[in-house]
Amino acid sequence: MRVRRTSRAATWGYVGLALLFLYMPLLPPLGFSVTARPGDGLTLRWYRELGSNPLLVGGIENSLLVALVVGLVTPPLALLAAMAVRELGVPRLVVLVVLLPLFIPGVSLGLATAVFFRALDITPSVWTIAAVHALWALPFAFLVILAVMATFDPVYLEAAYVQGANRWRAFVDVELPMIRHGITGAGIFAVILSFNETVRTALVQGALNTVQTYIWATFLQVGLSPTLHALMSLLIVLTLALVSVLLIVTSRGAAR
Amino acid sequence: MGAFQGSIAGALSSRARRLRRLGRRALLALPLLFVAGLLFVPLGQMFLWSVWERAGFWVRPGFTLAWYRTFVTGARLTVLERSLVVAAGVTVLGLLLAYPIAYFLARHVRREFSRAILLLFTVPFLVNYIIRTFSWVYLLSRTGPINRALVALGITDRAVDWLLFSDFAVCLGLLSSYMPFMIYPLWAALEGIEQPVIEASWLLGAPPPRTFFSVTLPLSMPGVFAAVTFGFVGSFGEGAVPIILGGVGYQLMGNTITSALDVLNYPLAAAMSSVVVMAMLLFLVAWYLAFDLRAVLGKIAHWRF
Repeated sequence: MRVRRTSRAATWGYVGLALLFLYMPLLPPLGFSVTARPGDGLTLRWYRELGSNPLLVGGIENSLLVALVVGLVTPPLALLAAMAVRELGVPRLVVLVVLLPLFIPGVSLGLATAVFFRALDITPSVWTIAAVHALWALPFAFLVILAVMATFDPVYLEAAYVQGANRWRAFVDVELPMIRHGITGAGIFAVILSFNETVRTALVQGALNTVQTYIWATFLQVGLSPTLHALMSLLIVLTLALVSVLLIVTSRGAAR
Repeated sequence: MGAFQGSIAGALSSRARRLRRLGRRALLALPLLFVAGLLFVPLGQMFLWSVWERAGFWVRPGFTLAWYRTFVTGARLTVLERSLVVAAGVTVLGLLLAYPIAYFLARHVRREFSRAILLLFTVPFLVNYIIRTFSWVYLLSRTGPINRALVALGITDRAVDWLLFSDFAVCLGLLSSYMPFMIYPLWAALEGIEQPVIEASWLLGAPPPRTFFSVTLPLSMPGVFAAVTFGFVGSFGEGAVPIILGGVGYQLMGNTITSALDVLNYPLAAAMSSVVVMAMLLFLVAWYLAFDLRAVLGKIAHWRF
């Protein structure tokens, strides 16, 4: 019995170490963003400087716009895909196709879409960026919605049909209220992914910038700076805040 | 007369019903068309371009294998070799690190609790991995906390150099980027195994290790395969981590593709990118043939598809 308890403790220790390994990289930017020079006191100077950079402000605007579009477009697409699994009669194929963007490495996906847009003479815009982000976020949103739909018993739909509801009414009045939190969750997930995307964006953005590609381009040109660390800290905090919202939305929905 | 009217109405309504059915199917196919239009067509075009000729800074239709040849005869072959070695190493290491975690969470921890822990593993993954990779530069540097800890603990007497800008650093960065991707499918597959199956093995007298190797492990193979695909293809085509953690001149497939783009050599970039995508497709076809994709979805798969 004691052996078992020790091995259990060791396993927990191991899980803790793995978590430490994954969480450790979230801390350094926060530290660098509030120190003026190593050894000096704390300062918020780098945060104040963020607002005075027009290139960056433009990038932030683009990021917000793209995230908004992606957050609105992806959930309906993912919902349709999840329903297609149930109704089109080729579930394996639907799952494979919708999950595929997950498996294509970022550089290859970015290159392929960039070249595709260029061949079609589509100039890079927030729309092309949003399209690529939606493609990248679709599999995740799909999985979120699929997981919620799995908890919904289709027997309720049958009951609605018996009561004379057509498919649309049955869906809107019966199924939708029960899976709504999954759809909201998928939207927030899509926004988070869009807000944290660099590699694919960098290849399809043309002359535009997003916050993330601004960071990447500045790093490649001049390296990291306290201002960049301040920006990265904000993004980390924002992402964690969005994750909290996501958790609250999905857990509240699941509790109902 | 009434019968006649009825049959006309019936024909009409059956036609209307068929139309509605068609409309519904078209709507449901929308996301598939989206993926097809924005992924299949561009990837197809990329394959095509990889055998076309270069014209100025653009391409011209034709047929040449020159780009693939440049790739396997020149210095880039070492890039391919290194990418394969690094990707394989990261995959094996990631699997060895992630499997025990997934196994423990799926089989030895209460369900709600294991979900919470799994969530903890997912959260850092949502923060852009490039931002996280930047942090490793500091964490692994000569004056960084890891080196200081090593010296303070007396493990080494001087700061260690090979921690940063090395294969080690790149593998570490890739692991930290792709490990959450590997834990999840493993957990889903392990979680999907029904307890009675395991108990049957015990009842038949198999000791725990035997049960693991002849029941649990084979049943978790779809998850293992998904984890391998994510780990391998992800690291194989990764472009940012080698730039940040590999140091000057460290090339893997991903950043070699972007550097070919920097000199506007589209066909060469397309050829290299095709190699990466083909490796991925190979995995996926094998996976599709060997397992039911839905097994990776864990409990979701029990939902009647």
